[in-house]
Amino acid sequence: MLETIAAFGRIAWAPIALLCRFLFGKVREPIGAPAKFALGVASILVLIASYSLLSYQRHQENPRDTTVPNASQFVEGWQKVIPKKDSPTDWFDKQQRKKYLESSWLYVDVIASFTRLFAGLSIGVIISLVVGMAMGCLPRVEAFFSPTLSFLAKIPPTAMLAVYFVLLGTDFELFIGMIAFGIFPTLAQGIYQAAKKDVTDHAVNKSLTLGASQMEVIWNVVFQQVLPRVIENVRLQIGPAMVFLIAAEWLVADEGFGYRLRMQSRLLNMNVVYIYLIILGAIGFLMDLLLSWTRRKLSPWFGE
Amino acid sequence: MTENNDQEEFALDVKNVSHWFGSNKVLNNVNLQIGHGQIVSIVGPSGCGKSTLLRAILATHPPKRGEIWSDGKRVRAPNRDVGIVYQHYSLYDFLTAQQNVAFGLMLDETSLPYRALVPWKWWPQRKKHMQAAGEYLDKVRLSHAKDLYPNEMSGGMRQRVAIAQALIMQPAILLLDEPFGALDEATREELQLMLLELYQENLQAKKDNGKPPFTILIVTHELNEALYVADRIIGLSQFHDDGKNGATIVYDKPAPVFHPNDERDFLAFNAQKDELRKAVFSPENLQQHAEYVTYWNEQKQAAT
Ligand SMILES: Nc1ncnc2c1ncn2[C@@H]1O[C@H](COP(=O)(O)OP(=O)(O)OP(=O)(O)O)[C@@H](O)[C@H]1O
Ligand SMILES: [Mg+2]
Repeated sequence: MLETIAAFGRIAWAPIALLCRFLFGKVREPIGAPAKFALGVASILVLIASYSLLSYQRHQENPRDTTVPNASQFVEGWQKVIPKKDSPTDWFDKQQRKKYLESSWLYVDVIASFTRLFAGLSIGVIISLVVGMAMGCLPRVEAFFSPTLSFLAKIPPTAMLAVYFVLLGTDFELFIGMIAFGIFPTLAQGIYQAAKKDVTDHAVNKSLTLGASQMEVIWNVVFQQVLPRVIENVRLQIGPAMVFLIAAEWLVADEGFGYRLRMQSRLLNMNVVYIYLIILGAIGFLMDLLLSWTRRKLSPWFGE
Repeated sequence: MTENNDQEEFALDVKNVSHWFGSNKVLNNVNLQIGHGQIVSIVGPSGCGKSTLLRAILATHPPKRGEIWSDGKRVRAPNRDVGIVYQHYSLYDFLTAQQNVAFGLMLDETSLPYRALVPWKWWPQRKKHMQAAGEYLDKVRLSHAKDLYPNEMSGGMRQRVAIAQALIMQPAILLLDEPFGALDEATREELQLMLLELYQENLQAKKDNGKPPFTILIVTHELNEALYVADRIIGLSQFHDDGKNGATIVYDKPAPVFHPNDERDFLAFNAQKDELRKAVFSPENLQQHAEYVTYWNEQKQAAT
């Protein structure tokens, strides 16, 4: 009886196994560049196709549906976010140019949000770098910071919004503080771990026998060794930094991505919302590319 | 050698060094003098404290009792006068072979503020360092690999670079802790020949009434290698009359000197190997070892 079931199972499984093998290939099987590219494009096409299908169905039911906008609604949405005034007659006239650009939601929001994001990220990275490196190199600093840091890392920064309101107000400082201190515990810990574990005692001792000073050990040995890991860690923090920024803007800003997304989703203007999401994703993606390019330039030895 | 008492005379002077870890007594009153231009092998049973002795000399782990002197200076912390090549992890991943070799010159001759503040003075100096590094890479037969990163090199190449990196500092003494332990036989032989070539440079310098440039203390567990590359061989062992208090030097005699072109005739070592096994590696032989510690006496006799 059992044998029959087993035999049947094996026969039924065979075509599935064959199909899986055909679709997914083998573990670690090398893949050519054209195939890689084609699959990447396919994935985007699948996304677009499923969306179009969904949108088509919704509009069959209700032609005035705005929740899953179709192409013409997207065009409308796009017109909403680009400059509404006529283009300036003289592009070199600062006044004219400013008026024109500032009549665009997109321009205003990109400038507002990304100034905040860059300022917050830069300050967060600098603080994390100093603290993380010091902790990884100097056991006294490590002993001082590590309990607090592991504790802080466990509190979700978005849950601390009230604290930031009270301490930093609701202006520029709020967004900066939110991002900088939001990414700080995780980033500092990442850098600290890298500085501690990626640099062996041998490497440090060796540099001392080559005449390094304490500062040179930190800068020329430890920092150079962990630089690619620092950049990788910063890359990983771009996502969280955006989360913190949008969360803060959602609550208190009167310009920026979080603000616009809140207003437009309230009105169910999903055409604008989706455009903003795509732009947000695209800029995040570009920042990611830029950082990984920087990493390859600065630390060519690190490999992929 | 009548001026033996003069510390300046010794590249390395280990005075009454004892070391222990808790109740585990490892080094017991070790005394060792090494003259300039000597290549000295240390052999001993596994776990007898050879690496501990090297760490004490390097002063990354200073001995609990006793003093280390190098070139007439007390060694209290790792410094540019005592070099080291470890078995593993000897190079900086983020530097090419040539940069790795030039690294010590940079750390020793310039400081971080200097390099940052007067770059126009630093850059030409850098060029000279790189040139010198190129010459040392030549010496270890690696000029073709000067632009490779450590992860692009074989184990043997890495050890050569590590040796060049240490030699360029012209340390009073260079310590090698099982430097060829992880290499295959052929590579090992090549590196042994390299040591013999360095020894020839020493002989040449002495002939020209100069100071021999390379003084090397090498730990190895291979008796043939120990006898082949060195002009003096030392046994460190806990098998002696006060062995319960740790290992000490129980054997110290000249080793046969080879020219790089000489045939590698290891049969000639058999008598001395038997003697070493008896004096250093045999738990039965727990007497005084004065009869085996005769190096300096032999030198004295040879001088008169
Ligand atoms: N950091 C340490 N803490 C405690 N004990 C140690 C430490 N380092 C070494 N020892 C002990 O000291 C003794 C000597 O160790 P060491 O590494 O110097 O031996 P070795 O002669 O180099 O051996 P091998 O030939 O295997 O390399 C061993 O008993 C070891 O257990
Ligand atoms: Mg050892």
